[in-house]
Amino acid sequence: MLLDKYSPADLFDELIDSNGKVRPYYQPVADRLFPLKPEELEQKVKNLELLFLKQGVTFTVYGDERGTERVFPFDPVPRLIPGEEWEVVEAGLIQRITALNLFLYDVYHEQKILKDKVIPSEVVLSAAHYRPEFVGVQVPRDTYIHVCGTDLIRDRDGRYLVLEDNGRCPSGVSYVLENRMAMKRVFPQLFGCTGVRSVDTYPADLLATLQYIAPRQTAQPNCVLLTPGVHNSAYFEHSFLARQMGIEIVEGRDLIVLEGFVYMRTTRGLQQVDVIYRRIDDDFLDPKVFRKDSMLGVPGLVDAVRRGNVALANAIGTGVADDKVTYAYVPEMIRYYLGQDPILDQVPTYLAWREDDKKYILEHLPELVVKAANESGGYGMLIGPTASKAEVEEFRQKILATPRNYIAQPVVYFSQHPTLVDGALEGRHVDLRPFILCGESIKVLPGGLTRVALTRGSLVVNSSQGGGSKDTWVLAD
Amino acid sequence: MLSRVADHIYWMSRYIERAENLARLMQVSVELLLDSAGSGGNPGDYWSPVLAATAMEGSFRLLYPEPKPGDSAHFLTLDERNPDSILSCVREARENARTVRDQISDEMWAELNQLYLLVGSERGARLLETTPQVFFEKIIQSSLLFDGITSATLSRTEGWNFLQLGRFLERADKTSRFLDIKTQTAAAADTALEALEWGTILRACSAQASYRRVNGTEFSLERILEHLLFSTEFPRSVRFCVRMADEMLHDISGTPTGRYSNRCEKLAGALLARLNFSGPSDVLDRGLHEYIDDLQVALNETGQALFDTYVLLPQETLRSVGRLLPGDPLEYHIQKQQQQQQQQN
Repeated sequence: MLLDKYSPADLFDELIDSNGKVRPYYQPVADRLFPLKPEELEQKVKNLELLFLKQGVTFTVYGDERGTERVFPFDPVPRLIPGEEWEVVEAGLIQRITALNLFLYDVYHEQKILKDKVIPSEVVLSAAHYRPEFVGVQVPRDTYIHVCGTDLIRDRDGRYLVLEDNGRCPSGVSYVLENRMAMKRVFPQLFGCTGVRSVDTYPADLLATLQYIAPRQTAQPNCVLLTPGVHNSAYFEHSFLARQMGIEIVEGRDLIVLEGFVYMRTTRGLQQVDVIYRRIDDDFLDPKVFRKDSMLGVPGLVDAVRRGNVALANAIGTGVADDKVTYAYVPEMIRYYLGQDPILDQVPTYLAWREDDKKYILEHLPELVVKAANESGGYGMLIGPTASKAEVEEFRQKILATPRNYIAQPVVYFSQHPTLVDGALEGRHVDLRPFILCGESIKVLPGGLTRVALTRGSLVVNSSQGGGSKDTWVLAD
Repeated sequence: MLSRVADHIYWMSRYIERAENLARLMQVSVELLLDSAGSGGNPGDYWSPVLAATAMEGSFRLLYPEPKPGDSAHFLTLDERNPDSILSCVREARENARTVRDQISDEMWAELNQLYLLVGSERGARLLETTPQVFFEKIIQSSLLFDGITSATLSRTEGWNFLQLGRFLERADKTSRFLDIKTQTAAAADTALEALEWGTILRACSAQASYRRVNGTEFSLERILEHLLFSTEFPRSVRFCVRMADEMLHDISGTPTGRYSNRCEKLAGALLARLNFSGPSDVLDRGLHEYIDDLQVALNETGQALFDTYVLLPQETLRSVGRLLPGDPLEYHIQKQQQQQQQQN
């Protein structure tokens, strides 16, 4: 049987409880999935990956002349989350994004939280993605982050901890929808035995979120998705979302700004654009304001945004909120703006720019995870316990050179989940990225993307670094 | 529809049609090679008419100053350095489709993607090596299937019009070029070989059966011209293709047929009128090769005018929608910047 060799490790196991028993809510799935022959299951996965390849459900591998596209490895054992457990996570995420948006509004207006010294001013003012030129600029509905992908992990006790907030261009939601479609195709019988909350309203919810911030409140504001282009690793997702929402996918060169309004160039002339769901970085949005050498942006776009003639999702400058140093202060933000205790805990964080913390970090480097404050995708990271001496030394120098750019956290051995490896199920670390939409109300997609580190013992789950994914089922009670 | 999207759709279908025509020409040439081995022709020369007919002689000589046997076949099929090889055409078709896949049906995308996955793979290379005819057949079938899928799944909006324009302008160009092969080969030594050559050209245009149905088994230059240039029924004749392109243009602008609202419609309409009101004797008066040259100039101008009318907007120059050649340094920088955009994954 598939599960014969499975051993829960000394950490939280999603399937097996502390008494060595399958958790009751997994039982219906375990009963149907685990008696399958390994060859049968592997064949199903192979067929699925072939289907993904044929449909072009792929990401582009960089550093490869031929622009190789790869299928995001898919694991067939779904990750289950009981309904009541999810309710807590959902409430925690809503609380957190609410605080982050209030924080962004504050930082770009009166900066009360800085004046009250709840967060040291230097943290914000020195953040790489802080945009002082946007202080005082009104954004529609006072919302900055409309689409957020928050990474959660579970510690030894099964507590959900926030690992990071992705409030610029979080990606991966297309895989949530594609994985669900794939699972329905391959294991229709599993869905019948246990109620699973649907994820298919996401595109409609995203479109409603975009329409909500349209400056012209017409019946059908013109929303577009701005992509860097076909060479970007996430182009599949951009085109997938545009198709699902029925909106145009545009590149910078398709747009033009005239007299402070944004238009797209069509075969029938210019057509006004109201909302841009942009998947390019702030720096590249407008060569007149940010990077002069940007070939992806639209000259004059920032001016149009300032005048309130076009809305951006997410707004410019949200990077100051998902900065890894700012992260350390989110619990304070929640208390400050909402007068509540945080529902979701987070990982203790040492900030290298604080002298005491820096000393501690430098003394304990081999035990810590060190992260660059503004990187994502698993880059710019040191995992102390598995790093070589040379790597540790390299990070020591980096931290000494630019302390503001580094934070450190104790290693959290996040939960493991049975994963199909060479015909048997083995434990692999997983995280969870739920997707949150802030429109007229805040909506959290039930579940999200479960990413799995396919290499034994690895804690890096990013698709660019050998991670895979699973379908995530929030159970309807 | 976005101008850039229209351009991508147009080139998607042009490239798949180009791959199909090249594959068919090569398929019949392989057969001719096998036939003529018995009739004493020189087998080594059979790829040069293909290179000439597809206007690739120059770039071939540039890449292969001292060609060895097999070089020209590779150059035409799987050579990535040749922008018009079968592999490059299929890749371009697929890359254009990938860029606009939100605008085409899932089935259209899947067909092009599968063809690309085959042609670009080891499996594809082996197929070409062991059974070239099967390889060419695969390309032809896939293009025809794509045409069918398109017609069954794509809404008849502007996207359809641009797609058909790409297909028919490319097809008209290829039919006329293939006909020109006859003017470029040395006069055949005997009538048997001559018949073989005409048969090859007809089959390269997928026209043999339809020609016979009208004309029987006799080959005459006039009848072949009538069929490949002027037929109103045969869907690969130049006149048929230009008529379709003209219809598509009028669909896009809404201008009544017989009138024009832009330069592209004017050029296409004028070309169609010329084809409607002339016949084989006019071709022979002008000279076959010259007539075909004129045709190709007119087709090229129409394609350029289409781009100028619907894709290019005057205020843009460098940032225009024009496709950059592979290897253009600007292309490299754009690609790098696209990749730099953090998708928080």
